[in-house]
Amino acid sequence: MRVLVVEDEKKTASFVRKALESEGFAVDCCGRGDEALATALATPLDGIVLDIMLPGRDGLSVLRQLRAQGNRTPVLLLSARGEVGERVEGLDAGADDYLPKPFVLAELVARVRALARRGSESKATVLRVADLTLDTISHRAQRGGQMFELTAREFRLLEFLMRSAGRICGRMSIIQKVWDYDFDPGTNLVDVYVKRLREKIDDGFEPKLLQTVRGIGYVLKEAA
Amino acid sequence: MTIRTRLTLWFTAVFTLSLLVMGVGTFLEISEQLRHARRESAAEYAAEETSEMILEAGLPAVLLGLLGGWWLVRRALAPVADLTQAVEKIHDRNLSGQLPRSGNGDELDRLTEVFNAMTARLDGSFQHIREFTLHASHELKTPLTILRGELETALHDESANAAQKEKLASQIDEIERLAKIVDGLTLLTKADAGQIELKCEPVRLDELVRECVADANILAPPQGVEVRLDSCDETTVAGDRHRLRQLLLNLADNAVKYNQPGGRIRFSLRREGPFAALQIANTGAGLAADLQGRVFERFFRGDASRDRAIEGCGLGLSIAQWIVKAHRGQIQFASQPNEWTTVSVRLPLA
Repeated sequence: MRVLVVEDEKKTASFVRKALESEGFAVDCCGRGDEALATALATPLDGIVLDIMLPGRDGLSVLRQLRAQGNRTPVLLLSARGEVGERVEGLDAGADDYLPKPFVLAELVARVRALARRGSESKATVLRVADLTLDTISHRAQRGGQMFELTAREFRLLEFLMRSAGRICGRMSIIQKVWDYDFDPGTNLVDVYVKRLREKIDDGFEPKLLQTVRGIGYVLKEAA
Repeated sequence: MTIRTRLTLWFTAVFTLSLLVMGVGTFLEISEQLRHARRESAAEYAAEETSEMILEAGLPAVLLGLLGGWWLVRRALAPVADLTQAVEKIHDRNLSGQLPRSGNGDELDRLTEVFNAMTARLDGSFQHIREFTLHASHELKTPLTILRGELETALHDESANAAQKEKLASQIDEIERLAKIVDGLTLLTKADAGQIELKCEPVRLDELVRECVADANILAPPQGVEVRLDSCDETTVAGDRHRLRQLLLNLADNAVKYNQPGGRIRFSLRREGPFAALQIANTGAGLAADLQGRVFERFFRGDASRDRAIEGCGLGLSIAQWIVKAHRGQIQFASQPNEWTTVSVRLPLA
């Protein structure tokens, strides 16, 4: 899968490229907005990582032009401005996802992968990881034949983790998807909820499914 | 025409008018005297008529002089009063506005011109500071992104041992903290510059409070703190849902962090006239009276937060205060050390 990384900061571009390459992506890099637009229009791509502040032409304008030309390549916007309204503005301009700087690298990789695979995501109503199942219609969860009660928030958290099973979920993603917050609330809310969820789904069971990735976030997966 | 010329001309006019009135009065009196002179003795007559003359000619002249003077001063000072009123309305947010000028080139017009030039210069300086802070927070994010990315790459390097990984993870934690401070500063700077637009839609505050209490009920028990919702009246305010949630969570988080094991948190939301009155009270060390006035200051941290190394960036209450003010509400902080600390918020109902 081929991804274009548009970022004028060379060091940032370099570690983003390395991280994506180690995940099996073919990565092109570009430091200018106008060049990025030309490349994106000329090359078939599976995804674009697009910084907003760019020389030549800013990211939002590149994105708008791309969409105006009928190009539907998935775009992940990066921004150092971090305004609440900016995410909405970016999504309105046709972005598929938005990540404020400084971002968690693992989170960026996970999101690019999700974007590149867009459409092939499972729409299953019963999610399954090992012997843990979650019925997204009846909101029932069980493991090893044992049912447990989930609060509304715990359900959304578990659903999000299960839909991204095997991928690292950064705190920012969890806050955005589960709490619908556009800002970091500056609390350890996520960690405490994950701890509660872990008590329900992992206590007394082996293997432990919900794992912490220090400094980054959480992952739900079968084997360590 | 300058004010000096105008005043001189007006004064001359009023004075002349008074003299004229006095002259006409005296003339009429004297002609009457002449008509009566034949019948009465001159001495008697002179005494009587002099006082009459003062009454009939002097008094109107004095009255006219008084009225004229009053009108004259009022007219001369009217632009000063207007100017004072306009200047009173100036604060750091509307420096770009210009005072209206009369355009007649007098001293006050010139003063207004100089004043406008001064506020324009001040506006420039303020703008400069805000832009500087905005750029600074933006520029800080680039190295933070690089630092974070490179540390994370190093963390995933298979050749690193456990101790090295622990060190890297701890550095990432510090970068997160720094990033939060930069985020908070950016937000407040933008708020100062009036660059943040808040939505103004009906928001059910009671629903947000219940949601926040549910979150507090998750945050508090691990600290041995009990949470209770005392009352929750149905209230709708006009505002920005996201920001109001941020406010509530912010206050709830403080109530947990600055509590004590075995402590309590009480939430209450009531309708009070045209306001929604929210109170969040918590037990804990609290804050001495002399420091309470400073809790909304940026980077203010009480002794408790320093002693117990409570995590936070010192901007939480400043942000809370901004959100409340942006909703045209009031926020107050009251604390009795080692008893209850209460944050009260009043927001106008929709």
